[in-house]
Amino acid sequence: MIELHLLILVIVVSFGFVFSYLAMKEHDLLKALALSSVQSTFFALGFYILAAPDIVLAYLAIAVGAYTALVILAISKTERYEVGE
Amino acid sequence: MKRDVIVAVSFLLAFLFIAYAVTIKNVLGLGGEELRPLGEFYLGHAFAHEGLTSHSPEVVTAIVWNYRGFDTLFETFVFFLAIMGALSVLRLDKEQLRQARELEGGMPHRQMDLIVKATTKFVVVMIIAISASIALHGHLTPGGGFQGGSAMAVAALLLFAAFSKFTLERKGLTLRHTISAYAAGLALILATVLAPAFIYGGRLLEINLLPGETGLFNLDVGEYTAVTFGFLTVFLVLGIPEWVFKNVLRRELND
Repeated sequence: MIELHLLILVIVVSFGFVFSYLAMKEHDLLKALALSSVQSTFFALGFYILAAPDIVLAYLAIAVGAYTALVILAISKTERYEVGE
Repeated sequence: MKRDVIVAVSFLLAFLFIAYAVTIKNVLGLGGEELRPLGEFYLGHAFAHEGLTSHSPEVVTAIVWNYRGFDTLFETFVFFLAIMGALSVLRLDKEQLRQARELEGGMPHRQMDLIVKATTKFVVVMIIAISASIALHGHLTPGGGFQGGSAMAVAALLLFAAFSKFTLERKGLTLRHTISAYAAGLALILATVLAPAFIYGGRLLEINLLPGETGLFNLDVGEYTAVTFGFLTVFLVLGIPEWVFKNVLRRELND
């Protein structure tokens, strides 16, 4: 019998995988950044289900806040669209 | 496109298979209800009424700053080196900083909406309260200095976005102040690390000797300050617009 929280974990992390795939395939870097922060929110939920609240607190603030801001600053110094294959 | 989908789906299937094997079938032997001797030691000693104890019901913080304290100490130094690296690559001397400020002051001033500004003020107060509770209760509830500090840095970033870097610098959040606060945080950490050796005759970082829970509390407060202002320093340096930077550096070349 599969326990319910493990099932939720699998669903949440699968969503995280889907969003990280979308972020990799996106050519608009700002949109890719938004997708990657959605992915980190799902991973943070996964950490919470794994009973690691300390990680959740650091991971959310870093991945959604600080990391996003740093990459936005970096994008503002280059170009927004990724061109060429 | 089709190749991408195949790759993505195969990754997903592989992940599901590994998750099934590890959690349900217990292939790696990570699951199970029994408590290992090391875990038993931590649980028994992190919060005890006699003997050397960390005075911390939160075992994670006790491990991070006491039983594995040197790991965290060196991690703090790595963070310090990263920030010093960023500062030394992007540094401007006093004269150049003045020029940069002049150029920034001449920029067209974008005003955010009144609604955005008012909401940001409320949200920032809430985030600061939450981050303080995460950091200062670090030895009682989940959380600690690093987590609280990064939440606090996010609050400052919100202020950057809703108002402007220029406004904040006029209110006193300058590079010099953030670096001084960062140094104060590091000094508190170092003092707490050295105190047991010099005052109580123990070893470095043997914070169990300090009275009550002061050891963990001081380290948490020090890390909170250090991380908050470390992040802020980097954001202040990176927040200088690219054209201002280029302009200032070009003047240096011409001189």
